[in-house]
Amino acid sequence: MNEFWQTLISRRSDLISAIWQHIQISLVSLLIAMAIGIPLALLVIRHHRAANVLTQITGVFQTIPSLALLGLLIPIVGIGTVPAVIALVVYALLPIFTGTLTGITGIDPSLEEAADAFGMTRTEKLIRVEFPLAMPTLIAGIRQALVMIIGTATLAALIGAGGLGDFILLGIDRNNNSMTLIGAIASALLAIVFSGIIFILQKSKLRYAVATLALIILVPSGVGLYHAVQPAPQTITIAGKMGSEPDILINMYKDMIHQVDPRDKVVLKPNFGQTAFLFNALKSQQIDIYPEFTGTVLESLVKPTKNQKEIGTPPVQLYQYAKNDLSQQFHMTYLKPMAYNNTYAVVIKKSYADAHNIKTIADLQKVEGNLLGGFDLEFLDRTDGYKGLQSKYGLNFKTQSMDPDLRYEAIDSGKINLTDGYSTDSQIRQYRLVALQDNRQLFPTYQGAPLMNTTFANKNPKIIAALNKLAGHISERDMQEMNYEVNVKQQSAANVAKHYLTTHHLLGGAR
Amino acid sequence: MADTLITFDHVKKTYDSKQAVDDVSFTVNRGEIFVLVGASGSGKTTTLRMINELLEPTDGNIYFNGKRIKDYNVRELRLQTGYVLQQIALFPNMTVAQNVALIPSMKKQSKADTSTLVDQLLNDVDLDPQTYRDRMPDELSGGEQQRVGILRAFAGQPQIVLMDEPFSALDPISRTQLQNLVIDIHHRLNTTVVFVTHDMDEALKLGDRIGVMRLGKLLQVGTPDEIVRHPADQFVQRLFENSMAHDVYHVLLSKLAVMGYLQDVNDLGTSATNDDRVTLTGDQTVSDALTPLENNNAVLIQSEGGPARLLTRDQLFKFIGDYRSH
Repeated sequence: MNEFWQTLISRRSDLISAIWQHIQISLVSLLIAMAIGIPLALLVIRHHRAANVLTQITGVFQTIPSLALLGLLIPIVGIGTVPAVIALVVYALLPIFTGTLTGITGIDPSLEEAADAFGMTRTEKLIRVEFPLAMPTLIAGIRQALVMIIGTATLAALIGAGGLGDFILLGIDRNNNSMTLIGAIASALLAIVFSGIIFILQKSKLRYAVATLALIILVPSGVGLYHAVQPAPQTITIAGKMGSEPDILINMYKDMIHQVDPRDKVVLKPNFGQTAFLFNALKSQQIDIYPEFTGTVLESLVKPTKNQKEIGTPPVQLYQYAKNDLSQQFHMTYLKPMAYNNTYAVVIKKSYADAHNIKTIADLQKVEGNLLGGFDLEFLDRTDGYKGLQSKYGLNFKTQSMDPDLRYEAIDSGKINLTDGYSTDSQIRQYRLVALQDNRQLFPTYQGAPLMNTTFANKNPKIIAALNKLAGHISERDMQEMNYEVNVKQQSAANVAKHYLTTHHLLGGAR
Repeated sequence: MADTLITFDHVKKTYDSKQAVDDVSFTVNRGEIFVLVGASGSGKTTTLRMINELLEPTDGNIYFNGKRIKDYNVRELRLQTGYVLQQIALFPNMTVAQNVALIPSMKKQSKADTSTLVDQLLNDVDLDPQTYRDRMPDELSGGEQQRVGILRAFAGQPQIVLMDEPFSALDPISRTQLQNLVIDIHHRLNTTVVFVTHDMDEALKLGDRIGVMRLGKLLQVGTPDEIVRHPADQFVQRLFENSMAHDVYHVLLSKLAVMGYLQDVNDLGTSATNDDRVTLTGDQTVSDALTPLENNNAVLIQSEGGPARLLTRDQLFKFIGDYRSH
């Protein structure tokens, strides 16, 4: 509990800006959903079939998993606030549309007849009779939409739109429950508060209600729209995958770029998502740079030729393959790699390894029947992942898919007894685990290097020079240490990155 | 020759294959209350709703002030046409005053004038403006609501007010009060009214002229007197008889008036007139007349809006005899 308050106090300015961001995204989405949903409902009110069809469609929208929708939107509209808002609008359409529709179709037909008989035009009838009478149902729809939007908006952080989701994701990633809790509580409170405001407005006089509602919606969403529409100045966007390591790396990139050209505005998008998210975002030029591994390039991104997949290819040669393929197939530039090899590792508890005398992956066959592996979806599917364990080591044991962030906790608490990790993970040390030797060389080399589009590279030779200074630096031990600083000691990635660069004389000399 | 406001010229209305209104022709004179009476399914409401174009005739023409209704701008036509519904249908989102002021406000009349008009109208129907102006419709009784409904229809000073069974959902006391209210307003404003009802008593009480409808056809148009004395066919006669109370002593004295059992005061010799003659009203029944007639050979019946007329003992006996022989 004490830790919770400390986190709250130390993060309060982050929290306030996250809340503000969250409110903006939510209200802009709500406003747009209303601007689409209400007129749409009015349009089809006299056409039962069209109304039915639209109700079905908006209903189907709601069943699309939000993560899938966000993923689908990246190649089309990229990352950041825009796809988040689009996704939220899509979800909010149903309650608003049906709220308007049932509000108006539920009006006593004799009132409609009276309005007609007194000579009201379509618009007069709408303003004088239908809207006021449909208002309670419509407002209930808006309220439902808003509560849903505020909840779902936490996922917007996955694609770099910010908001309270940042707290939740960061908390999960850093294994910091206080942060997750703060993010979750804040978004729940936000939903309750806004729902309450709308509830109170519903009871008050119509014109005050409309005025207040308009004010609440228009001010933050106006600010939000202004920011969204404003043309972005020449900025360089650097994104990183989930986790502390990419976060540290992109902070290093930022520092290196600033050193050569302090005028460049560098925007970081840490914890951006998994490989496909980032690669698509880079392809559609939503981001400019992200650190990628040679192994991942050859396994998941390019279509490699046969001989490139041969076992035992030296790392230098692997890098060349990746670089050439990226250049030819995607017109991308892959800068020189750093020293460390962050490859997959099969991880078990040290106590368990000692008890059964397990040192290599092949040794696992001794205890095959007792194993329960917890892997993330990517590992389960990769030919150099679980499939490779089956084919190359002849292992066959029970598995369970889980989020990569949860696996160390799971193995520590004994829910699983084997998992995949990365050789630079700080948790290997933290939880007293061992990474088993890959004596049959299943896992390829994973060296990190900055990846960017060639058009960007051609335009920015200075940046390339700056980033290439990192080539050959950072050992596996350095990386483990830095990860430990961030994950366990709760240092900020920016500070850890800067500390490394300064102590290794990569930064600061000229300034 | 009376001034014609509305003319139905061979009007037909067909729903699917059902003939709701079948070749109906009649005229409504300016300043009269014209009552369409008939059972449900007779086409009376359909006929009414074609006047303000809530329904369009399948065939034939309706003329309003000599011009075809379909040649009018719908809004213009409807702003000149008040409408009172059986369901009352006051707008629940508006106060009493806002409901009454609806048409004036749609016509963009000045707020001050409208406000004065609303107060005056509320006073006219015994609803104190101070108390009732700002009430919402659901705070009123059914009878009060329909009073406001009637005011709403008349407030725009329309040329004609259409009333679609406006009192059939009300209790008998409210119904009588509101019937009197309609007669009262009609006398004051001289607005033409087309009134639809299934209640022959109501038709006889309100109508200057009555149109009897059955199964989409208009059987007879005439004054109450003509309808009662010379029914066009057995159906009309039966409709009227059915409207009579089952017990002869419960028949309203006003009904005796329309059936022609009353005499003008001057018809009797001066000897018969004396100052202490008992006066009854049309709302009272035959049984109320019996006791006074024990001691007098005639009583005065005061009916709505007309001079008092005499009911003699002989005529009462004649009526009772006639009633029995039906």
